[in-house]
Amino acid sequence: MTLDATDLSLTVDGVDHLKDVTASFQPGRLHTVIGRTLAGKSTLLRVLAGLQRVDSGSLTRHGADFLTTPVWRRDTAMVYQQFINYPHLTVFDNVAFPLKRAGVARDEIRRRVQESLARVGLTEFRRRRPSQLSGGQQQRVALARALVRGAGILLLDEPFANLDYKLREQLREEFKTLFSDQGDAVVIYTTTEPAEAMMLGDVVLVMHEGRIIQTGPPGEVYDRPATTTVARIINDPPMNIFTGRIAGGRIAVDDLQVTRVPAHLADLPDGTYQFGLRAPDIALASAGLQAEVTFVEISGSETFVHLALSGTGFVVQIDGVHDIALGDRVSMRLRPERLFAFDHSGALVRSPSSGPGSPEGR
Amino acid sequence: MAQIDIVDVGHTYTAGAEQERWALKPMRLTLEAARTYALVGPSGCGKTTLLNILSGLVKPAQGRLLFDGSDVTALPTKARNIAQVFQFPVIYHSMTVYENLAFPLRCRRWDKARIEARVHQVAEALGLDHRLRQPARRLTADDKQLISLGRGLVRDDVAAVLMDEPLTVIDPQLKLSLRRRIREITEQFRPTVVYVTHDQYEAMSFAQEVLVMKDGRVIQQGTPEQLFEAPASTYVGYFIGSPAMNFLTVERVGGQVTLAGRPLAMAWDVPDAPQIQVGVRPEYVKIVGEPAANVFPTRVRGVRDHGPQRVLEVELAGQLIKVKTPREDGVPATGQILVELPRAKVLPYVDGHLATTPRAADPE
Amino acid sequence: MSRLYATFKYTLISVWAGFVVGPFMWAVLTSFKDANGVQGGATYLPWVQYEPTLTGWQNIFGGAGGVDVVRPFLNSAVITLVASIISLALGALAAYGLSRYRFKIGFIANSDIIFFFVSQRIMPPVVLVVPFFFLLQWANLLDTIPGLVIVTVALLLPIAVWVMVDFFNGIPRQIDEMAMLDGCGPFGAFVRAILPNSVPGLTVAAMFCAVFGWNDFFFAFRLTFTEIQTLPQAVVALNSSIPPWWTLSAAALFGMSPLILLAVWVERYLSKGSLPGVIR
Repeated sequence: MTLDATDLSLTVDGVDHLKDVTASFQPGRLHTVIGRTLAGKSTLLRVLAGLQRVDSGSLTRHGADFLTTPVWRRDTAMVYQQFINYPHLTVFDNVAFPLKRAGVARDEIRRRVQESLARVGLTEFRRRRPSQLSGGQQQRVALARALVRGAGILLLDEPFANLDYKLREQLREEFKTLFSDQGDAVVIYTTTEPAEAMMLGDVVLVMHEGRIIQTGPPGEVYDRPATTTVARIINDPPMNIFTGRIAGGRIAVDDLQVTRVPAHLADLPDGTYQFGLRAPDIALASAGLQAEVTFVEISGSETFVHLALSGTGFVVQIDGVHDIALGDRVSMRLRPERLFAFDHSGALVRSPSSGPGSPEGR
Repeated sequence: MAQIDIVDVGHTYTAGAEQERWALKPMRLTLEAARTYALVGPSGCGKTTLLNILSGLVKPAQGRLLFDGSDVTALPTKARNIAQVFQFPVIYHSMTVYENLAFPLRCRRWDKARIEARVHQVAEALGLDHRLRQPARRLTADDKQLISLGRGLVRDDVAAVLMDEPLTVIDPQLKLSLRRRIREITEQFRPTVVYVTHDQYEAMSFAQEVLVMKDGRVIQQGTPEQLFEAPASTYVGYFIGSPAMNFLTVERVGGQVTLAGRPLAMAWDVPDAPQIQVGVRPEYVKIVGEPAANVFPTRVRGVRDHGPQRVLEVELAGQLIKVKTPREDGVPATGQILVELPRAKVLPYVDGHLATTPRAADPE
Repeated sequence: MSRLYATFKYTLISVWAGFVVGPFMWAVLTSFKDANGVQGGATYLPWVQYEPTLTGWQNIFGGAGGVDVVRPFLNSAVITLVASIISLALGALAAYGLSRYRFKIGFIANSDIIFFFVSQRIMPPVVLVVPFFFLLQWANLLDTIPGLVIVTVALLLPIAVWVMVDFFNGIPRQIDEMAMLDGCGPFGAFVRAILPNSVPGLTVAAMFCAVFGWNDFFFAFRLTFTEIQTLPQAVVALNSSIPPWWTLSAAALFGMSPLILLAVWVERYLSKGSLPGVIR
């Protein structure tokens, strides 16, 4: 019952949209594909849906070839980032559409549509047209339509990206419950937001420049990102990555000693590494390294402070909302025990969750 | 760069409607010169009406509007010297970037050298100085929006820049960088900015002061930190912050506020009212090991992994609240945990409104 | 200043309106006159300046000394209707294909194909009439209604394609994709998801087809002889050395009437907002 992609590749105008994508999507599990814009996430979904050809590679379902199966026989439902519904149909008819096409009996259609409208909380809007609904409601209609058929493959392409954050927060909360009884459907959800991937996914696939660069349970990808690229993608704000040198029990960036070498990095030989440190693992302190505030963002209940430390940019995340003026000089302190070490090629050498001396297994 | 005084300004679109139903209830506000303000609220809250009154598109049913002390209530838009950025980029597709930026100055008959200098200065701030000769129609939506802003900034006599949901047509992934650019540019040119949005992130990240609007009223005005720390109403507590502020219904026994039969100390005077709620941010609820003052037993109902933090949903005295904990603290091993509600961070609300002001001399 | 501007504005509008409505009103007045009413200079007020009669109107419906325009009217109606329906059906299909699929035949791409369609309207009709003549002669369709229908389709199809390509391009592609994901084949997606949302576009295209089809004079004139006469031909045929102006006016007004009714109906339809497919 799995959906298996092997070496899928697609090049358009010399740009790799997909490059040797191999992945096995399991029934009954929620896969989140995380990556930046244009990483190939949407392309991958479109290939799985049959809306996009590939140059090479294979795709099988239940072990049988799936690439040649036309879209309308793939038993696949999709929710787009844009709120896509049939403009000429009422909410009820929108949700009923796939059932009618599948030749489901009338009474059965009514029952299932009402049930799925109730689940997304749109019962009272069933006679409206999509254009008479708010963005959040429109996306709920699309979700209901995707849910109603009990399709074998469910694809969600950044479904909440165009919503306000309060709505996004709310729909995310509802999402897991909504999709909990999808039985053994293969569910694939793309996102650019780490919090979404962490919260929703059973399995996280990290995509970058058309490749899948790491796959695993969310906690594992988060705690042990295989490369600096993964580390940046799986963190919001992106993980701070800086080049530094271990020498004499201290870590230095250029000539500036930034911190001591923590226990979990103690056995690393002296030399140059790329270090990673998450934004919440840098603190603004009363004394420490002097840096200048270059930008401040507020994201929900967190304040992201962008700092310049002698030419290197750092992002610091502090809990709560704080008024900090641009151009201020502040002191920052790195938490050495939270440092990640990567080699010059960007591969993970040591993470805070690995004990000293234990090499990173993959 | 004018100070804007809104003096008893109110508006209704249906003549004769009683004031309770006006789109904008009469209000008195002062927007200081060279500061950035965000009007934020759900659709229908009156923020667009207020913006239209500032721009002169709508003449208020009552009240006066002053720019630097002079009455502009009756003046048409073009006599008010304001620059506007709309939801959709308004640029001249037939012109180059340079011509677009120079257009307002040419209309004002500036001499050529002066235009050239000013356009280059603004283009540099916009980060478009290397693309001045390009036709404007080839630009992406976010660059077009920057030009819309730039056209407002080239004039040096602009009283205020009004922005109406300028990021609407921008891809979600580009919003952040554009917001950052707009913020940096306004820091540099320091006009008085009024920015309308329904998105709380945008408002909080962009403005020095945020005005939360609802039902035609400004329900709270303050810096982002003030809105976060002391929401004036339960609505603001819900609207600002993610996850939203927790609200718990408490009892009042004698002079003492209690929760689940235990006293709850607060750093505020709590008025006597039949129904009191307390608000506390998920960030400030602490998981502790030992019973102490303001520590309550709870039962864990759910855990959500957000990455650097986990959000626990716990049941306290039959009510659900959220608690944010750092990832490294792990998931509690037992279903029962103790949480502390720090006395300085618990705020009392009566009828949905913040019910006290801080004590003058608080020991803490 | 603003008073002066307003005066200027309304004067200009009035002059233009007079310019547009004038000839029409003139035809209406003339159609109710007879020989006496037409002679002796311009007259405007019925019953005051001249005695209105129904002579012109009687003449066109086969009254004594007149001509019968009912038969040509029916011919025109059949040709216009059939040709418009065929053009819309084929045009919508072609346009959908051009809007949704990329074609590449050598150096020829979609935009070239669309231009090829439109280019048929760029050519002067005179260039086309000779080949059409020989084609119809070869198929033995000269001077027949099917023959004229085919020629009219050739004239209307480019318009339909052009209007509909533009319209379909405005409908998000995801809607067809979604219909296919929901179980429709490509044709099913077109019929069930796209066509119902294309009513405004189809209405505009149908208006164009009706107007161009109805008003065609040149091809009907050159490709029919005795058997078939269309309405424009019949009206022009009235134009003898001393034209019966009243009959001519009545025939012209009668010929215009279906288009006027159509325009009124479509306008109502549009203003009622009953056209679905508000696509954002």
